[in-house]
Amino acid sequence: MEHVITSCERIKIDRCRKERAGARNGGISTGASSGQISYDRLVNTAADIGYLLIANGAEISRAEESMRRIFYAYGAEEGEVFAIPNYLSVSVNAPEGRPITAIRRISSHQVNMNRVDLANDLCRRICRTKPPFDSVNREVRRISKLPTVTLPVQIIAYALVAAAFTLFYGGTAADAAVACLCGAAIKPVCWLLEHFHVNQFFIYLSASFIAAAITLVFANSFVTLNYDRIIIGVLMNLVPGVAITSFMRDIIAGDMIAGVLRFTESLLVAAAIAIGAGIALTSMRMLLGV
Amino acid sequence: MRGKTLAFASLGGAIGWLVYLLFGFVREDLFQYFVATIATAVYSEILARVMKKPATEFQIVALLPLVPGGGIFYTMEYCVIGNNEKFMETGLHTLGIAGALATGILLVSSIFRIGNPPYRGLKKE
Repeated sequence: MEHVITSCERIKIDRCRKERAGARNGGISTGASSGQISYDRLVNTAADIGYLLIANGAEISRAEESMRRIFYAYGAEEGEVFAIPNYLSVSVNAPEGRPITAIRRISSHQVNMNRVDLANDLCRRICRTKPPFDSVNREVRRISKLPTVTLPVQIIAYALVAAAFTLFYGGTAADAAVACLCGAAIKPVCWLLEHFHVNQFFIYLSASFIAAAITLVFANSFVTLNYDRIIIGVLMNLVPGVAITSFMRDIIAGDMIAGVLRFTESLLVAAAIAIGAGIALTSMRMLLGV
Repeated sequence: MRGKTLAFASLGGAIGWLVYLLFGFVREDLFQYFVATIATAVYSEILARVMKKPATEFQIVALLPLVPGGGIFYTMEYCVIGNNEKFMETGLHTLGIAGALATGILLVSSIFRIGNPPYRGLKKE
């Protein structure tokens, strides 16, 4: 056992040395002729970019295609990639036939189209200019650390979206004002629950419950309001529009598993929203006898 | 998403709803949703090619006004009240709207892919 480990380690050390020597000779050479590219780093770089794309809401086909193109750009002829929304694996055969594989588990998803956009541009640049891996890794890190919209701005956005959709569905100005308040109330709740890593469906359920509860309290204590319009307007913040859009695009591109996963996700989110508001409605009816 | 992209993506939403309203004369809202989705999808695919950005970016935003949030809510409400007939009716109608959106995207996205199939790596001999 001991012997095996040491020999493995020696191989690793040898490889490191070779890499370092390669780096000294003017960076990682990318030409297929010299056969000097570091397949380990290639696999890691491709996996990082795939992760960046999928974790920020890109389609599966885009992520897979980007990774394949990166392999091709650096001259790795035999590369396989597979991805679904929460998993991706990348494998390349090094020239001696040694397979190198990387697996990434994508646990948290968000929709950040700005990052997808930048990662997409990065891929185009990689395929055009084949930059050294160091600069690619720097760029990937920079993109994944880009500041997102701050919480106060998000709260304002939620409030405005809620108010706008309430008006859109035929609510009055008073309805829109209440919707504005509800919208502002649900974002901090979502943020707090996300902070404690509560599962996604419970977050939707709670947000929807709170939105409906606030609306019903207002509707029963002050002026008459179109409570349905308000609740719908606020819930448009939570509706799985992204999942509906991307599940169809995944299925068209031939990624059935990814499509089915997203379809299930959209159904579950819709159910969570409905259940949350449903609990609020029922309990209000029982408490106030409306 | 910021700047020009943001503005153009929002415009897509406006176009979608405009088309929905323009087709109001058919008095068949599933068809209206379908046509509106096609309009937003064509808009996003064209814009994606002009601006060299992922089509999804525009599509997600543009589709949002068409997503049946109201349908989900009324379905739930009828369920809570216990009005099973209306519950089934509204529920199926909501599913129908979601289906219309999905079919619209499917149609346009498939057509735009005809001359431009996804890259599947090197061909194996």
